[in-house]
Amino acid sequence: MNEHLLLVEDDGSIREVATLGLEQAGFRVTASGDGREGLVQFRQGSFDLVLLDVMLPSLDGFEVLREIRSESRAPVVMLTARADLHDVVVGLELGADDYVTKPFELPELVARIKAVLRRSAPEPGDTVINADGLEIDPGGFTARRHGEELELTATEFRLLLELARRPKQVFTRELLLELVWNYDYLGDSRLVDAAVQRLRAKVEDDPKEPKLIRTVRGVGYRFDG
Amino acid sequence: MTLRRRLTIAFALAVGVSAVALAAGSYFVVRHNLLRDSVTSSAKQARRNLRIAPADLPGHPQRLLDAYRGTGGDGTVVVVGGRSYSGFRVGLKQVPSELRALVKGGRLGYQRETVAGTHYLIVGSPSEGGAEIYFFFSEEGLRHELVVLRNILLAGGGILVLLAALAGAVLARQALRPVARASAAAGSLAEGLLETRLPVEGQDEFGAWAQAFNEMAAALEAKIGALSAAQARERRFTADVAHELRTPLTGLVGEASLLSEHLERLPPESRRPAELLISDIGRLRKLVEELMEISRLDAGAESVQAESVDLAALTGAILRARGWDDRVRLDAGEARVTSDPRRLERIVANLVGNALDHGEDGVAVRVGRDGSGAFVEVADRGPGIPAEHLPHLFERFYKADPARATSGSGLGLAIAQENARLLGGEIEVESEPGRGSRFTLRI
Repeated sequence: MNEHLLLVEDDGSIREVATLGLEQAGFRVTASGDGREGLVQFRQGSFDLVLLDVMLPSLDGFEVLREIRSESRAPVVMLTARADLHDVVVGLELGADDYVTKPFELPELVARIKAVLRRSAPEPGDTVINADGLEIDPGGFTARRHGEELELTATEFRLLLELARRPKQVFTRELLLELVWNYDYLGDSRLVDAAVQRLRAKVEDDPKEPKLIRTVRGVGYRFDG
Repeated sequence: MTLRRRLTIAFALAVGVSAVALAAGSYFVVRHNLLRDSVTSSAKQARRNLRIAPADLPGHPQRLLDAYRGTGGDGTVVVVGGRSYSGFRVGLKQVPSELRALVKGGRLGYQRETVAGTHYLIVGSPSEGGAEIYFFFSEEGLRHELVVLRNILLAGGGILVLLAALAGAVLARQALRPVARASAAAGSLAEGLLETRLPVEGQDEFGAWAQAFNEMAAALEAKIGALSAAQARERRFTADVAHELRTPLTGLVGEASLLSEHLERLPPESRRPAELLISDIGRLRKLVEELMEISRLDAGAESVQAESVDLAALTGAILRARGWDDRVRLDAGEARVTSDPRRLERIVANLVGNALDHGEDGVAVRVGRDGSGAFVEVADRGPGIPAEHLPHLFERFYKADPARATSGSGLGLAIAQENARLLGGEIEVESEPGRGSRFTLRI
């Protein structure tokens, strides 16, 4: 255990209490109160997960997320003060793995962090899946398309794996939320839609005309390998 | 009947009555004059004829008749010594007895009589030696002229009435156009187009009316504009307050969460205050979250993520997720809807939570479908809600019982109703004091 978390949050009180709570939950925490400084720390250290506030001085959370995604696949959970559509969707489209709205309970935060971390852990012993030029290795936590390794985040990889394990089966958004995000109850289906969009951008030849990950209108998604 | 039609008919009627009066008047004047002229000229002709009557009349009545052939009108009857002589188709039989009595009395007289379908003016006169002479002047020409005149007047009157109706319709439409325009303008005002105005044309009553209408619309627009600006400011303020409260509240919630894990290690005198602090932070959190939600609903920033939802399964899951399934009786029928499950959850959880707060035990939830669609009905056997509170129950911060104000923020039902409307549904409430209340979400 003892995963190392980077917490970027400008409010001192929240930063301190979250650090305390996360440490009590068994994590190592490095805290930063500023977007630019947080990004510097991210580049210097090695983190298993980043907790990122949206409203930050000097560089806002979306910018920090964009920078992180341009160089790393580390899981990112957004802390959003505004649960409004716009913030959540922007964060998810930029590649956030999940989001928690303020005010949050510490146990809820810990549960979300653990769910995201579980996603990034490889599953040893699973057989490699080959489908339509796509090669998914659950043990090695890698995916290749026409022999070329794909830069997938843990969430995207897990989503692809779940879909590809049972080709032709239709997955509802609820089921995917349960399988990939570990929501046992009414997660936000926008998490699924945003992740599917990102995944298509990486695995499809033409993301506008998806051949591998098909949308089943009114129901969910299906893998046609 | 529309005002336009009534005006048209009134106009046509007025013109029609005047036309008829005028036509009838002229007809009778002309008729009277023509008949009088006929009498005058006939009498004149008769006198002239008498003057040329020969002195030996009694001896040669036939000669007399011959003499009158050209001037005696259309027939002459001569009576001499009890015998009558006549020319053309007429005879003594056709001379009315009243006229004969007059002539026998030694006077000149006339009378109108129809003989074999022909109108005659018969002029009678006594002559030498007790003889009587009757001249028959045909009035057929005159009668025919009168018939032609009557027909012309009738046709003219009819055409006039038709023209009047047409002109009346056009005039009425024109006169009433401002009314039609005003009612269209009032309609669009009612639909919320507050910038609607009427064109002010002319100095007449309609012009003044349009002016007054415009002033009213302007006043209304200004008033409503000011009201909605005030409301927008108020909503903005609510949103700002809720938003500003979030950051310190997040800290508080985290701190309470840490504190709650170490309650038993606190000295006894600070344990109870710490417990109260934690529970109050929970209440504050609920209030702020509800304020946030209602301000998002007000801003119209909420979106609906519709999908196919099994209402029965969703309701069961909501009850289980909150640990209510052993306190609530669920009677779940088949009801599948296309709606937003997250919003449905908020609504149903709010209704069931309220029922559990106020109705204690005996809360029953029924899910199903009836004539008007799918429904979730939450019934409790609590104290019920007095009828005077029912219309206000979904208003913000409205509390039916101020003494029980501690349990909720007063926003829960308002939010539930807003969410229901966002989903195209409605929450209805029935209550009987002493027996319990029933809230029904219809979709």
